[in-house]
Amino acid sequence: MADGFLFDVKVLELGDEKGEFCGKLFAGAGAEVIKVEPPGGGPSRLNGPFYQDQPDPTRSLYFWHYNVGKRGVTLDIHAPRAKAMLEKLIARSDVLIDSLPLDTLSRLGLDWPALRKLNPRLIYLVITPFGRSGPWRDYKATDLIHLALGGPMMCCGYDPKPDGTYDTPPIAPQMWHAYHIACNQAFIAAVGALIGREMSGAGEMIDLPIHQAVAVSTEVDVPIWIYSQKPVLRQTGRHAVQRVTPQAQFKTADGRYSMLLLGITPRESAALIEFLTEKGFGAELNEKFKDPTSRRGPEFNACLTGALTRCMGAYGVEEIWREAQRKRISWAAVRLPEENLGDEHWRMRQTFARVEHPELGASFNYVGAPTLAEQCPWRTGPRAPLPGEHNQEIYGGQLGLDAEQVEDLRRQGVI
Amino acid sequence: MRPLEGVRVLDLTWVLAGGGGPRLLDALGAEAIRIEWRERLDSLRLAGPFVGPEPDQSRPRRPTDPPANVNRSGIFNDINAGKRAISLNMTRPEGREIFKRLVAISDVVVDSFTSETMRNWGLGYEVLKSIKPDIIYLQQSGWGYKGVYSGFGSYGPVAQAISGLTEQSGLPEPYPPAGWGYSYMDWSGAYYCAIMMLLAVYYKRRTGKGQYIDGSQLEPSIYLTGTAVLDYSANGRHWQRRGNRAIARPMAPHGVYRCAGEDRWIAIAVTNEEEWRALAAQMGTPQWTAEPRFATMAARVANQDELDRLLGAWTAQQEPFALQERLQAAGVAAGVCQTAEDRVERDPQLRHLNWLIPLPHPEIGTWPVKNVPFHFANAVVGQGGPLERAAPCYGQDNDYVYGELLRLSAQERERLRRQGII
Repeated sequence: MADGFLFDVKVLELGDEKGEFCGKLFAGAGAEVIKVEPPGGGPSRLNGPFYQDQPDPTRSLYFWHYNVGKRGVTLDIHAPRAKAMLEKLIARSDVLIDSLPLDTLSRLGLDWPALRKLNPRLIYLVITPFGRSGPWRDYKATDLIHLALGGPMMCCGYDPKPDGTYDTPPIAPQMWHAYHIACNQAFIAAVGALIGREMSGAGEMIDLPIHQAVAVSTEVDVPIWIYSQKPVLRQTGRHAVQRVTPQAQFKTADGRYSMLLLGITPRESAALIEFLTEKGFGAELNEKFKDPTSRRGPEFNACLTGALTRCMGAYGVEEIWREAQRKRISWAAVRLPEENLGDEHWRMRQTFARVEHPELGASFNYVGAPTLAEQCPWRTGPRAPLPGEHNQEIYGGQLGLDAEQVEDLRRQGVI
Repeated sequence: MRPLEGVRVLDLTWVLAGGGGPRLLDALGAEAIRIEWRERLDSLRLAGPFVGPEPDQSRPRRPTDPPANVNRSGIFNDINAGKRAISLNMTRPEGREIFKRLVAISDVVVDSFTSETMRNWGLGYEVLKSIKPDIIYLQQSGWGYKGVYSGFGSYGPVAQAISGLTEQSGLPEPYPPAGWGYSYMDWSGAYYCAIMMLLAVYYKRRTGKGQYIDGSQLEPSIYLTGTAVLDYSANGRHWQRRGNRAIARPMAPHGVYRCAGEDRWIAIAVTNEEEWRALAAQMGTPQWTAEPRFATMAARVANQDELDRLLGAWTAQQEPFALQERLQAAGVAAGVCQTAEDRVERDPQLRHLNWLIPLPHPEIGTWPVKNVPFHFANAVVGQGGPLERAAPCYGQDNDYVYGELLRLSAQERERLRRQGII
């Protein structure tokens, strides 16, 4: 089997849903990831949905999704006997992902200087809600709170009323994007540090505040404010900008939606009018806006929007977007996530993966690779660990404890 | 020391989904050289807001004139901070020969052209590899090169629509999807563009091997749809929008509530009974908070419409930031739906974290640019990169690249300029 990109990297993951997606990326890129959970299992095992809707720490689809490809040990890190074990695990790791509550490791005597002494080559990645210092350091947060404070919500929602006010709230796009946004950037930083270590030989500590990661990841609202001190307006299914722009989402014949942004380029506008004409919806456009230079402004947009509304309303959601795309029009079906499973394009690219759950006698479709790298294929699997599934293997095989010692630790509630 | 010191990236990407990737490598210390030519400027150079005069495309110009006012876009300045830029006409055979000489001294080539462009120019992976055996070539297209939709166009909203991200966002039927009010998949696409380059650089450092990666904007989008595909596969359940309500655990109240002021809202998430009691106490424990229909988490979830209405009637009287402070002090997770103005002008935590850094630009002066959100204890990391500057002007680094790196003589460079190659 071909190597993953990070074939020789060992990662230790401590914490909860804030850092779990980063560990998933490491596992996908071929690193060995050991997840340390409290005895009985970590907090995200309580997140739904659950397999067959039966809540159970081994049936959380949330946990399955975010922990696929990892190995799992249990350890009560606060137990007196645990510290030496934790130190051994850290000493053998290249990367430590820490999304425990603030200062947990320092209180155990494992602050950065101590960790460094333990393992001078360690990349120590700390993911916190707001940072390790500052006025909001101790604020409580969830995914929703981060998407509010960080700025995405004030860009997302529905059109204002004609008088410019809103009767609908800002929207937090589902699901778990504050953690996605933070972990993507955490992973970038950590792999960057691994590359740097090749030259310096030294470890690194990286502090990643989720709030900052989210706040830098909106698009034009911040530069528009910095350069022109203007606010942006939330608009249905399209960019929040200073002015209200033409509709971009259209109802299809089967009660679904298609999307198309108007006014991207003159070439695309021309191709679109030609396409609408072919489909029999271009008569008014061709009559009123024969001259290509007249194809701009609110009247043209209204006419084009009308033609699009009629055309999209005449076809099912999957019916003609490909045909439009072949004419270089960026038309797209608004799909449900699961509707991509049957698509030939993703099948050819192995975008989804089948993962076995032997103890259930079943296998399921997972989202697989975020890219196609044939030399270093992305790994999806094996399935997420059961609580403490690899205790014997890791504590026995790698930390050198015998079966009796492992059993003793288990009886005492340490693992 | 900078982690990516000595890594050179030839950047043939555009806009944000591509251009943001090399930006991140640059922040980590790589040298990203952006390649443009007169007929193929990054379109963000022409996107406002501008500092000073706007780009003037109307005036006829001789082929050797530099394009007018293309260095004044604030958005371009933010997205390309720290990069170098050269002008090099890739549509001309001699331009492509010069490009090959650059490949010979680079580590990574990344492009976001439509799928066949580089191959049609005779610059596919096999050719690049013959020039530099350990080259990393990331082809970052919309849908990916391999597959039946190769060549289809994409930008953020297309990726979001197809992947399901659009459908996942918004109020329940009969409301339509709200989707994303910006190109979420432009930044996120850029993250995966950066991730794939970094992974390949690490692999090359460890094994000496380069590689070709067939990247896309669509697949990272699918990768971010969370547990929805698994829920369908395991439970046969189709995704249904639930607005801002909690989807993984029972939490109520959980949503955004109107505050005093024009279009002001606060997000509140109550995760347990203690927080509910604290919230009720902040409201002055009105009678309704003690009613059985709100007594337990399960009861509050079952009666959320009414709960949200009552809570919203109270928040509507409150100034949002004072309320945030009060609720957080009482141990309730709460946060204002912040605008860009809030974040830039008042957010004390972002200021504490130095989220914006001033970077100099030769034509528009010094402006704040969004810094990367990772703080390194030892290595020097920051937006602006090794040059510690904002975005490059068109062709700003021609002397450095053609003179110092390729050692072309001044006369040779002048000839290439006159012929419209550089």
